[in-house]
Amino acid sequence: MPETLDTLAQSLSDAVVNMDEERTRELAIAVVDLGLNPLAAIERGLVDGMNRAGKLFETEEYFIPELLLCSDAMYAGLEVLRPHLPNASEVKKHKIVIGVVEGDTHDIGKNLVKILLDAAGYEVVDLGRDIEPKRFVETAIREGARVIALSTLMTTTMDAMADVVRLLAEGNLRDRFKVIVGGGPISQAFADRIGADGYAASAPAAVKLVQRLITEPA
Amino acid sequence: MSLCPKERLLRVLRKESVDRPPVICTGGMMNAAIVEIMQKTGHTLPEAHFDSGLMAELAQDVQGHTGFENFGVPFCMTVEAEILGSQIDHGTLACEPKIVREPYPSVRDVVIGNAAAQVNSGRVQTVVDASRRIARANSDVPVIASLTGPISTAASVVDPMTFYKELRKDPSGAHRVLEHVTLVLAAFAEKLITEGGATVIAVGDPSATGEILGPVMFEEYALRYLNQLADRIHALGAPFIIHICGDVKRVRPQLAQLRSDALSTDAMVNLSALKAEYPHLTTMGNLSTYALQWSTPEKITQMTENLIRDEIDIISPACGLSTSTSTDRIRAMTATVKASREGMA
Repeated sequence: MPETLDTLAQSLSDAVVNMDEERTRELAIAVVDLGLNPLAAIERGLVDGMNRAGKLFETEEYFIPELLLCSDAMYAGLEVLRPHLPNASEVKKHKIVIGVVEGDTHDIGKNLVKILLDAAGYEVVDLGRDIEPKRFVETAIREGARVIALSTLMTTTMDAMADVVRLLAEGNLRDRFKVIVGGGPISQAFADRIGADGYAASAPAAVKLVQRLITEPA
Repeated sequence: MSLCPKERLLRVLRKESVDRPPVICTGGMMNAAIVEIMQKTGHTLPEAHFDSGLMAELAQDVQGHTGFENFGVPFCMTVEAEILGSQIDHGTLACEPKIVREPYPSVRDVVIGNAAAQVNSGRVQTVVDASRRIARANSDVPVIASLTGPISTAASVVDPMTFYKELRKDPSGAHRVLEHVTLVLAAFAEKLITEGGATVIAVGDPSATGEILGPVMFEEYALRYLNQLADRIHALGAPFIIHICGDVKRVRPQLAQLRSDALSTDAMVNLSALKAEYPHLTTMGNLSTYALQWSTPEKITQMTENLIRDEIDIISPACGLSTSTSTDRIRAMTATVKASREGMA
């Protein structure tokens, strides 16, 4: 069967949506073996598939287990294709520092946002979970990030989000970064109260929020 | 009709008539051990997680200072995961305990122990003894003992990212773990009821929301194991309250099949609409804990009046309370309920 970039990209996209990690890896290897454009295969195949999965999540046809399995397939394909990208194709991407605030170790929500931001073409610096406020600030400065994304599931750790905003203000750094917040107990009202730049109720909404904030004048 | 708080709650849970709704706060995930109370009394967390006398004192402090019509133990969601091998950070005065590391990378790796032995370890006895102390000293006010739900416990023992994927990829492995976790929870509940004298068992399962799992997996896993637990608790003669976090709109038919004596939900759920759709449900909730922390007492009074007007059966906070919430806000809520006597009897 003759494979073209178009058919392979479509198959890659389908394999990601269908949560088929093995098939995605095989198709990515085929792209490499045939000498096809790996960047196009990533964008039109893997990322397209993850975007479709994100839409199914928004319309509540997919839920968290499905979205995580799609992302496993996407990352399996990326692992094959990335080493074959020419260096020149490394475009400068906006950076986002993300993590779960101090006191909390629930990181599923944070991980979902990271996956979809990856797929949307951002460079995500993932600090992990239970992160003290100053590490968010120091990392954002060092990495030249545009956005700091804070997550928590617990009501007893929400106030740590306000600490990050306060720390930025104390360092006269507040205008350099957009701070976004999310997680089970978080709301727009809470975001407004602590002076965050935005709140998103879901991972796909967080990507749209970042896209909006990054195009706003600083 | 003047009922003591215990009788009122039990009557509501049996769907019998009462003078007014009870106003309660279960403990566990939804505990009210706020910093203001602990600083006033000196009975503090994290110490009270380990000492049954202190845990009992703190539960009684919370009841006295807030006006809630029950005692609630414990003050965390980590007792169950700890006896199944998870490493716990026991938190601070203001911050609840959390899982540091799940011991198993996959459901396949979980070593199934002996449930009876597991509930003889860790802090299980601390919670049971605290419950017994409170129950002995207070015959009129119910003791609610809270458990962490089956999915949340399993996702505290197995790496949650893998666990959620394995609900789809390895259903038999996931069921094997959940069967055991449910046995352990039932054994814990049995000790709380028979040794601890707990009046009611409550369960919160924040990792098992309709938003996380979707209707198909909510039914296969959450509904199935919560109902197994409900049946075992009912066989022990105790009522059972289930709290479901998050928005429930995709799992309403499944919620109607839960075999609990009351269903508690988060603030975004329209409980009166849920009750109109499923009249057999005994509804509980759902005063926003954001409002409890930040709104004025007047506004909280008004929101509580709305819940009473909507004939919510049991009035309660909708979620876990921030530990920086103040007692005057909580008292605005409890006093409003106690002042209402609108001829429901």
